[in-house]
Amino acid sequence: MADKSKLGMEFPTYTFVVEKDKIVEFAIAVSQKEDKEQINPIYYDEEAAKKAGYQGIPVPPTFPTSSFFWTGGGLMATVKTLGIDLSKLLHREEEYEYFGSIYAGDVITRKMKVIDMLKKGTRDKIVEVTVLETELINQRGELVLKYRTKLIER
Amino acid sequence: MALNYDDVEVGKKMPVYTSMPITRTHLVRYAGASGDFNPLHYDQTFAKMIGMKNIIAHGMLIMGIAGEAITFWIENKYLRKFNVRFLSMTEPVDLDDMENTKDRATIIVSGGVVKKFEENGEKRIQCDIIAQDALGSKKLSGFFIAALP
Repeated sequence: MADKSKLGMEFPTYTFVVEKDKIVEFAIAVSQKEDKEQINPIYYDEEAAKKAGYQGIPVPPTFPTSSFFWTGGGLMATVKTLGIDLSKLLHREEEYEYFGSIYAGDVITRKMKVIDMLKKGTRDKIVEVTVLETELINQRGELVLKYRTKLIER
Repeated sequence: MALNYDDVEVGKKMPVYTSMPITRTHLVRYAGASGDFNPLHYDQTFAKMIGMKNIIAHGMLIMGIAGEAITFWIENKYLRKFNVRFLSMTEPVDLDDMENTKDRATIIVSGGVVKKFEENGEKRIQCDIIAQDALGSKKLSGFFIAALP
């Protein structure tokens, strides 16, 4: 059961580099392809990306969630901190707000906090809800993206 | 393929996008690419241990497929918001029983424009989006906002 005392908690700040090959790997995974020649060239060819109006190699729209898994011990450590039972965990909602772009080579700082923790449902079926909000800030100090993740324990 | 604000009317549909049947290999690939190593997505013994009959796809893989559907139509750089609610679980196809299991693992993404408006000095559209399997079971629904030239 989620630990309600964690409401408002801010996780330690982490910084990571957006690796070029990781973008390719992700783009292949979500497009269910086998290798990079089959994906949109903006995700591996800087020239193609620039021609398409990007300042560098961009990331697929849902790529930023990876920051949750690459930092702070990943999923297991995060759910443990929150007191969430992994065997009951379900992802309920995800929302991205794009304020700027993330490009290969960017150095991103992740700031994540717990913005809501509540119980929902009837007496027979209580669902524990935890909402996390994450800000991604680039090497120039610009907030490029914010995402909210709603997790539930079934 | 450049889409202009003035050419888009409320009610316009985005092109329907159909995924390949999701295999366990796709799940493993997504786990590695995203870093989401929740064993629920690839380890049958873990699924069994927590009382589920099968492993299930990452919700975020389904959202990633929906993201593919969007960026097939509207360029990535125009996206301003993308919101989904996950509605049901997706079991991968069984390679030894393709015929009976491929529909549950095939994701069909559709949607359309519900609103046109100006915000932050940009011309924006809001579209509903829905992903369902080939049996009609809804996997996620939500919306996205894009700024168009």
